[in-house]
Amino acid sequence: MAKYETVIGLEVHIELATNSKIFCSCSAKFGGEQNDHVCPACCGMPGMLPVVNKRVVDLGMTAGMMLNCDINRVTTFDKKSYYYPDLPAAYQTTQWFAPVAVNGKVRIETSKGEKFIRIKQIHMEEDAGKLVHDDWTDTTLVDFNRTSVPLIEIVSQPDLNSAEEVVAYLEQLRSLLRFAKVSECRMEQGSMRCDVNLSVRPEGSDKLGVRTEMKNMNSISAIERAIAYETARHIDAIENGTEELVQETRRWDDIKGMSFAMRNKETAGDYRYFPDPNVMPVCIDDEWFERIKKSLPELPSVKKDRYIDELGLSEYDADILTQSRALCDCFEEAYAVSGLVKESANWIISNCMNVLNRKQLTADMLNIDGKALGKLILLVADGKVGHANAKKILEAMFDEDIDPEAYANENGYIVSNDTGKIEGVIRAVVAADPKSVADYKGGKEKALMALFGKCMKELKGNCDPQVLRELLIKIINE
Amino acid sequence: MLYMNSDILRRLQKLNQLKLTDSEERDVLAFFEKQSAELESLSSAIDTENVERMVHVMPILTVVREDVVVKNFTREELQAGAPETMDGYWQVPRLVE
Ligand SMILES: [Zn+2]
Repeated sequence: MAKYETVIGLEVHIELATNSKIFCSCSAKFGGEQNDHVCPACCGMPGMLPVVNKRVVDLGMTAGMMLNCDINRVTTFDKKSYYYPDLPAAYQTTQWFAPVAVNGKVRIETSKGEKFIRIKQIHMEEDAGKLVHDDWTDTTLVDFNRTSVPLIEIVSQPDLNSAEEVVAYLEQLRSLLRFAKVSECRMEQGSMRCDVNLSVRPEGSDKLGVRTEMKNMNSISAIERAIAYETARHIDAIENGTEELVQETRRWDDIKGMSFAMRNKETAGDYRYFPDPNVMPVCIDDEWFERIKKSLPELPSVKKDRYIDELGLSEYDADILTQSRALCDCFEEAYAVSGLVKESANWIISNCMNVLNRKQLTADMLNIDGKALGKLILLVADGKVGHANAKKILEAMFDEDIDPEAYANENGYIVSNDTGKIEGVIRAVVAADPKSVADYKGGKEKALMALFGKCMKELKGNCDPQVLRELLIKIINE
Repeated sequence: MLYMNSDILRRLQKLNQLKLTDSEERDVLAFFEKQSAELESLSSAIDTENVERMVHVMPILTVVREDVVVKNFTREELQAGAPETMDGYWQVPRLVE
């Protein structure tokens, strides 16, 4: 049997993290009551002039630079015509002739090693509205809240050859764009969607096979299943002539585990692109270009190496921290304030992650003040606040902006150096529990821990454990 | 130079889900024929040799706005002229997927 090679190119749509839409000032926020975030411009009313949101260009350039693209210093918008009720003007404003970024590359790593995936282009465009089918009236209901929400589309060259590579590529895109705060890239919320172009050819052939496209894939596992199915279908068609492969758009049904040809083939793909005379070309001058260049974050892989080589963190710790920009930012701020590398890393990896897990939040959603965390770490290191109370302070930092020291004072969390008070507590505890005292004197170490715990509880944790332990032993042996 | 003919016009109607009557079709074709003739005369009258292609027809560049949300219209105002609405949605004939 001949061996086959799968050839895959991806078009990835990413919703940009902006406040307003791409060509009008309506809110770009997800959700809201139907048709609440709309105006004559995004409803496609005649006579309205679109005006480009500068932030969209900023983020388009940022994405381009993160993916090693060349930035087109004059970038223009074009009309892509198609007739569908989710597109009120009957054309989508997108970029065809001079997209914001071209000719990039993304490095991925798989079980087969390192590989570079070439990026053909990144263009800025508007999203379409949402359609709801109403069975009762047998009509279609249209919501334009999502119309004109800004997107970038990242078009790869057909350089991917397996589902594993596709997954690695998507994860790399997500990591880079989250780090640069271009988008949250949440597939489950639709802020990252993917069209998969796939063809199959005999290994070693340089001629591409018939290409099919699956649109709007929104989960990584569905993409993996769809690629496996389509590859098998293509090979079956080539080997056994089960069907004639045609270039077409197909819909992936993840429940049935099959792809289906979409109807309306006849009119698909004739988009009649032409320059949109209503949107002025955007010229990116040197100042603008440099401003975006300076704003780029350190790449996660570079950060990880620096954490290990310069700061002496373990690979494990560096790996966890660099999974999210929020964790890195918090760590770097906490370290800058406290000067304590290991403690800063540990507080984030164990304590902060615990709170996030309990609140069912992801690492990206860590939004406590890193500087305050640094101060808290210092309070603990200086013996001013005990561990248990420090965790309570951390918990409070998730809910409000607080100064850890002021908060510790207000809540009585400051460790007391008043040995008179500590002695008083110890004497009372010892007097009330002669059995534990006798057990300890009889050689049971555990009994000392019980007494220690009772004293700590009485003192509400505000005591240097070392001081307490020494005083406790001294008093028992008196 | 050919800008329009009945085949192209039929295809455009299909793409835009429009149905022109025979007399409307004749009017559109006549209109384009006239336009084509005028464009033809322009291109023969004006020498465009060595003229650089324009990026855009307007001498204005980089009109951008800050990323600020402004709400100027209510849903009711926007839907005032709609033929059919339901529960705040625009309502259109059922689409077959
Ligand atoms: Zn709008």
